[in-house]
Amino acid sequence: MSDEAAESARKTLPAPRRLTTIMVAGIVGDSRFNQDDERDTRERVVQINRELIEPVINEHGGRVVRQQGDGLLCVFDSPVECVRAAIVVQQDMVVRNLELPRERWIWFRIGINLDDVIVEPDDIRGDGVNVAVRLEQLAEPGTIYISGGVYEQTRYKVVCGYQSVGDRKVKRIMDPVPVYRVLPDPAAVAKAATRRWLRIGALTAACSAVIVGVGGWYLWQRQAEQIVIFERPTQATLQPAIQTMPEAGARRPDESPPVTRPPVEAPSTATTQQAMVLPKPPSEPRITEPDTIGIVGGSFDMGSKDDPTEQPVHKVQVAPFLIGKSVVTVGQWRGCVQANACSYIPPGDDDAPLGNVSWNDTQQYLQWLSGVTHRQWRLPTEAEWEYAARGGTKTRFWWGDAMKPGLAICKGCGDAKPMKAGTVPANPYGLRINDGVSEWVEDCWVKDYRGAAANGAARATPDCRERVIRGASSSNDASYARPAGRDFYDASVRYPTHGFRIAASP
Amino acid sequence: MLTRRLVLPSLLLVSANALAGKTAAPNDAYLYIIWPQDGMRIKGAFWCRFGLRNMGVTHAGDTTANMGHHHLFIDVDEPLDTDQAIPQDKKHLHFGAGQTEARIDLPPGPHTLQLVLGDADHVPFNPPIVSKKIRIVVY
Repeated sequence: MSDEAAESARKTLPAPRRLTTIMVAGIVGDSRFNQDDERDTRERVVQINRELIEPVINEHGGRVVRQQGDGLLCVFDSPVECVRAAIVVQQDMVVRNLELPRERWIWFRIGINLDDVIVEPDDIRGDGVNVAVRLEQLAEPGTIYISGGVYEQTRYKVVCGYQSVGDRKVKRIMDPVPVYRVLPDPAAVAKAATRRWLRIGALTAACSAVIVGVGGWYLWQRQAEQIVIFERPTQATLQPAIQTMPEAGARRPDESPPVTRPPVEAPSTATTQQAMVLPKPPSEPRITEPDTIGIVGGSFDMGSKDDPTEQPVHKVQVAPFLIGKSVVTVGQWRGCVQANACSYIPPGDDDAPLGNVSWNDTQQYLQWLSGVTHRQWRLPTEAEWEYAARGGTKTRFWWGDAMKPGLAICKGCGDAKPMKAGTVPANPYGLRINDGVSEWVEDCWVKDYRGAAANGAARATPDCRERVIRGASSSNDASYARPAGRDFYDASVRYPTHGFRIAASP
Repeated sequence: MLTRRLVLPSLLLVSANALAGKTAAPNDAYLYIIWPQDGMRIKGAFWCRFGLRNMGVTHAGDTTANMGHHHLFIDVDEPLDTDQAIPQDKKHLHFGAGQTEARIDLPPGPHTLQLVLGDADHVPFNPPIVSKKIRIVVY
């Protein structure tokens, strides 16, 4: 093209096309807000925009194009900077939310796409924008979804986990778009945290071992204690991540608050090095292994003054560990039954929490699972369980000091409508507890914490006929839903509402 | 196909019955607390001893006829639900390994103790085998 032709082309085009990174962020609040709360939410959104969104976008070379309703449309020159900015925003929101009661939590969904779009001074146009909007709609509150194009540009530059969630169809666009969920990395989070909280050393070390092909999320406690939630390096390729997507993609405003999915959720599916390379997860699940969350330990006050068995309250230092997001389900247990490794044959639906197992039964499952996944699975220790169940909180329940409907399945804890297992919201670490069954842990029963070790190890007794039970079952009252609550049962005996979750040392 | 249709509901019926406290117990079965006795004042922790006549004690999960395992109710005021598994919490102690005594450590004050025999699935028998509720004072 001659100079002249180029000049004329420039004149005839209303706005130049440019390869641009498009970020769409949407706010998710609690649908139960009444009008006063809504005003409060509006004010806080304005504050978040001023204190967080705008500075972070500027810092990363981005620009806000449009802001309408609860949505935000931004452009960045660099996809890497854009993903980093998104991680900073999400991480900062976790900390902000931790300081507030649950019903006031605000989350962002973020979608990022890279495309050639028409850039006008005060707007951008093109299919690329629609894709970003679609990604934002797919994202669960508190998470970041990126398109394949962004993934290609950032995968080796932003050190974090990328989880393939399969190809998605977008309206008016021919080819389905490969979609990835970003599991943020330590460095980006550290950046977000410099203002208020910092203590990174141990955690970076702990993470770097795990970060090879996986990602991390962290949370902070108000006391600057640090917790890292990293992605588990799976050995076996597990059920396809896409299985979790319909739930994640659909917005159901009529349901219990959308904030019930905190950003720390990081399903262990399809995150191996292999999964990162393959855009699509395998179509057939091989083992339905329970999803786990990695928790880099820390120090906490174990116990409470509510019951003599929970005393004395004592400091415990917990080492990093992996723990099941939920209790083992009937379907997961059936894998072990089919392999002739578990003797108990449970009734019920595959997705129901498994009950009626003795502590001894759990050992059969853990042994089998360890064999097929080449990882040493075990029950969590009491200290690990309580640390994870507290989710960084010090209150009676993980959501505060008083029972609130809809957060635990127990007697007298419910809403007007009875809750179904698998519907309790996750705590700040991403764990679902009090979800219908109470849980066996590793420890032998000792009636209180006198003489308990400070390192979180399981307690052993010479005559270990009784093991510790944690959490509330559907037939327990609210006091059992406290993370500090403890009870015991004969290790050899099955009881309908006793289940368990898996754990391992990384 | 026809057989399957016929068989399935009847299977469901059986399992529903199994849950409904329908494990039969002999009419002369007698459950009682050997020690402490009603009205006793006790200092500190104590051994509670369980007595059962005309039935046998076994571990939970054992479906042998006329056998069950003990449950000790502490300060329980709610009526017994004979259709459901006996609750498991700090007020409903289970002795599913077939224990016939237990070390009980209660805070000072008045308390009630009562034994309830459970079947293989921790569900009360039909008729329910329940001891007299005794009152004690721990000091």
